[in-house]
Amino acid sequence: MTDAPATPAKRYATASDYVNLMKPRIMMLVVFTAAAGLVAAASVTQTPINPLMGAIALLAVALGSGAAGAINMWFDSDIDAIMTRTSTRPIPSGAVPREEALAMGLIMSGVSVMLMWLASNWLAAALLAFSIFYYGVIYTMWLKRSTPQNIVIGGGAGAFPPVIGWAAVTGNTPLDAWILFAIIFFWTPPHFWALSLLAHGEYEKAGVPMLPVTHGAKATRLQMLLYTIVLVPLALTPVVTGLGGWIYAVTAGVLGAVFMTYAVRVFLSKAGDADCTAAEKKLARSMFLFSILYLFIVFAALIIEHATGLYFAVKGF
Amino acid sequence: MTDEKEPYAGEFMDAPRMAPEAIAARKRRNVWLGLALFGFVVLVAVTTVIRLSNTDLSEGAGFYYSNSDDRAPVGEAPALPPGMTEEQAAPPAGLEPGEAPE
Repeated sequence: MTDAPATPAKRYATASDYVNLMKPRIMMLVVFTAAAGLVAAASVTQTPINPLMGAIALLAVALGSGAAGAINMWFDSDIDAIMTRTSTRPIPSGAVPREEALAMGLIMSGVSVMLMWLASNWLAAALLAFSIFYYGVIYTMWLKRSTPQNIVIGGGAGAFPPVIGWAAVTGNTPLDAWILFAIIFFWTPPHFWALSLLAHGEYEKAGVPMLPVTHGAKATRLQMLLYTIVLVPLALTPVVTGLGGWIYAVTAGVLGAVFMTYAVRVFLSKAGDADCTAAEKKLARSMFLFSILYLFIVFAALIIEHATGLYFAVKGF
Repeated sequence: MTDEKEPYAGEFMDAPRMAPEAIAARKRRNVWLGLALFGFVVLVAVTTVIRLSNTDLSEGAGFYYSNSDDRAPVGEAPALPPGMTEEQAAPPAGLEPGEAPE
C-alpha cells in the first residue's frame, strides 16, 4: 500500500493577499516619487495646494499603482507560477482567482483616475490613466515577453509619478518634471538588471527574454554601466535648472559616485556568469539594494529642500 | 415496498455547500469591500466640499475648482464683440456708475 500524494490545503484569501496583489513595495517608491514632484512643484511655482487634496492625489497615485500591479499579476500568473521567486504570489498560490485580480485592477484603475481628477485636474488624471495603461498593457502584455529592452521601455511607466505629482499641483508639466521622469527612466535598467543577473535562470525557465537571457551576463553588465554613466550626471541637472539646491547637489553627487562605483565593480566582475563566485553574486545584490536606497534618498533630498525651506540655490547656474 | 418513484428524483442537485473557512473568508472580504466603498464615498465627499469651498459660484464664474486661476479678474471688462470700437462701448458722457440713462 502506498501513501496517496498529499494535496495542498485549499487557501482562502486574506486581506494581505489583496494587498500583495497591489505590489506594495513598488507602490511605496511610486508614491514617494510622486510626493517629491508634488512638493517640488508647489515650492518652485509658488502654487498653493490644499494639503488634503494633495494627500488624496497621492492616494490616487497609490491606488493607480496598485491597480497596475493587480493587472500585471493577472496577466503574468502563468510565468509567476514557474519562477520560484514569484510562485508564492496570491494567484499562483491559489489564494486569489485570476478573474478577481483583473476585476480588482480594472475597478481600482477607474477609482484612482476619478479620485485624481476630483482632487486635482484632468491632466494629472490623464497622465495617471496613461501610466496604468503603460504598465498594464504596453509593458506587461506586450514588451515583457517580446523584447530584451522590456524593462528599458517599460521603465517609462515607473517614471511617470513625479510628473503626475507636478501636474496635480500646477496643471502642466514643465522641463523640471520631465527631468525627474528621466532620472527614474535611466535608473530603472541598472536597478532591474542587477536583480535579473541573479535570477536569469528563472527568467529563462519562464521564457521571459530578459537581457541576461538573450545577450548574456557580460552584455548586461556593460549596459548597466552605460546607463549608470548617463544617470549620474543626469541626476545633477536639477541643480542647473534651479530645482535642486545645495542639499540635493551634495546628496546626488555623493550617492551618484557610489552608484558609479557599484556599476564599475559589477562590470569588472563575473556576476551572472555560470562561474561567478558567491561574492560576485553578493555584489550584484548589493547594487540592486543600493539602487533602491539611491532613488529614495535623492528624491528625499528634493522633498526636504522644498518642504522645509532648506533650499539654498547653487550659485553659478 | 412499492415501485413508486420518488417525484422529481434525479431532477435536482443538492445546493453546493461552502466550507466554514470559505464562508469566513467571504465574510472578511465583504467587510473589507464595505470599508473600501465607505472610504471612497468619504473621499468623494471631502473633495467635493473642498472644491465647493474654493469655488466662486457667482454667475459666469464657472464651477470647477482649479489650482491655476486663469479666469479674468472680477471687475475686468469683457472682450468687445467683433466690429465694436472702444468709443461705441463707452458709457454716455457724464453717466455715473449705477445711474440709469434718461
